[in-house]
Amino acid sequence: MIEPASWLAATGPLSDVILSTRVRVARNLDGYPFPNRASDDELSEVRNTLLEAMSGNNYLANAVVIRMEGADDAVRDVLAERHLVSGDFARGGVGRAVVVGENEVASAMVNEEDHLRLQCIRSGLMPTDAWRLVNRIESEMDRNLHYAFSSDWGYLTSCPTNAGTGLRASVLAHLIGLARGGRIGQILSSISKLGLSVRGYYGEGSSALGGFFQVSNQTTLGQTEEDIAYTVERVATQLAGLEGEAREALVERGRRELEDEVHRAFGILTSARLLTAHEVMERCSSLRLGIALELIDGVSLATVNRLLVVTQPGHLAYAHGSGSSEIERDAARADLVRGELTATE
Amino acid sequence: MTTCDECGERPATIRYTEMVDGALSTWSLCDECAARRGVTGGLSSLTAPLVNILMGLLGESTDAAARGEDGGGTTCPQCSMSYGEFRAEGRLGCGACYDAFKRELLPLIRRIHGSTEHVGRVPPGLSGDVESRRDLRRMEMDLERAVRQEEYERAAELRDLIRTRREETALSGIEGVDVRDVDD
Repeated sequence: MIEPASWLAATGPLSDVILSTRVRVARNLDGYPFPNRASDDELSEVRNTLLEAMSGNNYLANAVVIRMEGADDAVRDVLAERHLVSGDFARGGVGRAVVVGENEVASAMVNEEDHLRLQCIRSGLMPTDAWRLVNRIESEMDRNLHYAFSSDWGYLTSCPTNAGTGLRASVLAHLIGLARGGRIGQILSSISKLGLSVRGYYGEGSSALGGFFQVSNQTTLGQTEEDIAYTVERVATQLAGLEGEAREALVERGRRELEDEVHRAFGILTSARLLTAHEVMERCSSLRLGIALELIDGVSLATVNRLLVVTQPGHLAYAHGSGSSEIERDAARADLVRGELTATE
Repeated sequence: MTTCDECGERPATIRYTEMVDGALSTWSLCDECAARRGVTGGLSSLTAPLVNILMGLLGESTDAAARGEDGGGTTCPQCSMSYGEFRAEGRLGCGACYDAFKRELLPLIRRIHGSTEHVGRVPPGLSGDVESRRDLRRMEMDLERAVRQEEYERAAELRDLIRTRREETALSGIEGVDVRDVDD
């Protein structure tokens, strides 16, 4: 579980800008109330039915099943930081379970807001590929399940904002060039006019920490899954192009200053003895930019992507215990970062 | 997305057809402009020839519209959630709520998604049913177009075809053509 997930590997298309693509579908079993209205017994029945339906699935072979009722706090936080469960789901509850496939490519939340949230996460920009994988997993499950479905409104979900396809395709994009160039507000507003939503991934709005943004489709009904995936792919490709231009502009404006920033970030990350999560995020953002622009050697995008996840509080608590003080956590974080960056690449 | 013909700014959510002195004109309106013009739904604002043609198909929904506007007291027969509870919590109680609150949810879903018609994946066991309903929907849209273009003979043919198809497939419960839809 603590090993790096494959979506962090920076092997997918446009990985210098798009860290990962996540596609999920929301489903509910016919004949049962949605989780917010279901009794404990009904939640348990739903969980057992879904776990049974997933147990023989070829795409979930060797999957780990974690029942949230029995999970300890650090495991819950690790799951949330890995994007395997939502923050709300991580707080636990009767009948809640998470199924994690090999390398964390495919996973499922049982009894979150809907009975089933099935998702795939891929490295780089791969919405169509991720949707196809979700579809293949689901096609194997379909044989045994009856979903709440209407021919008018498609898959019926707890919140009407998810009805229809139940599909949300989102990409995690590193838009540091656009954020620094001052064009981010304008670009994000045009994206929202295309029916996509954008939010800062760490922090809020256009001042998102480290320039990380999440872009996803806003509507789920009235388009096919392929069309939704294609829209996200098309917009994210354009975004990556604009981000590339913005990064080049940063180099032209002051190559030496940028090199200094990147190498200074590397110096701090490999030398500091105390690091806050906030500082790691900012320095890793500079380092990612430097790697993409080939301003620094000897460190890979995959390592930096990995650091962005494993330095978060849940991962640290999982590895070092949750009872430590703030100073101890910052020290553990600095040791971890130093270890990762000075290990042979 | 179509822009409102009246204000030219907001997205249109309602397509409104009216007949004045024998001529049909169609407007795409946003919620606000529609409300200002008194287009609040139902068929009461539509004039006679159009209504006569559609009435055979729309009996159920006009009855539903006449039952009241708010919907706060409607309750789901399966999970007993009331529409008022849904409005307070923002989450429905079960799949049957979508049927129970259909009239209230329709404008909401249209506002959220810009559409009220699922065109995506269908569970394998239901694909035949869904295909025939999608055919039916296409015929209903043709009917709407024929009426708009004053091709009343064609409209009458389509109406009969739709009626027969509904009887054959025993899908009498589904919604009729809604001339206020904007299908972007």
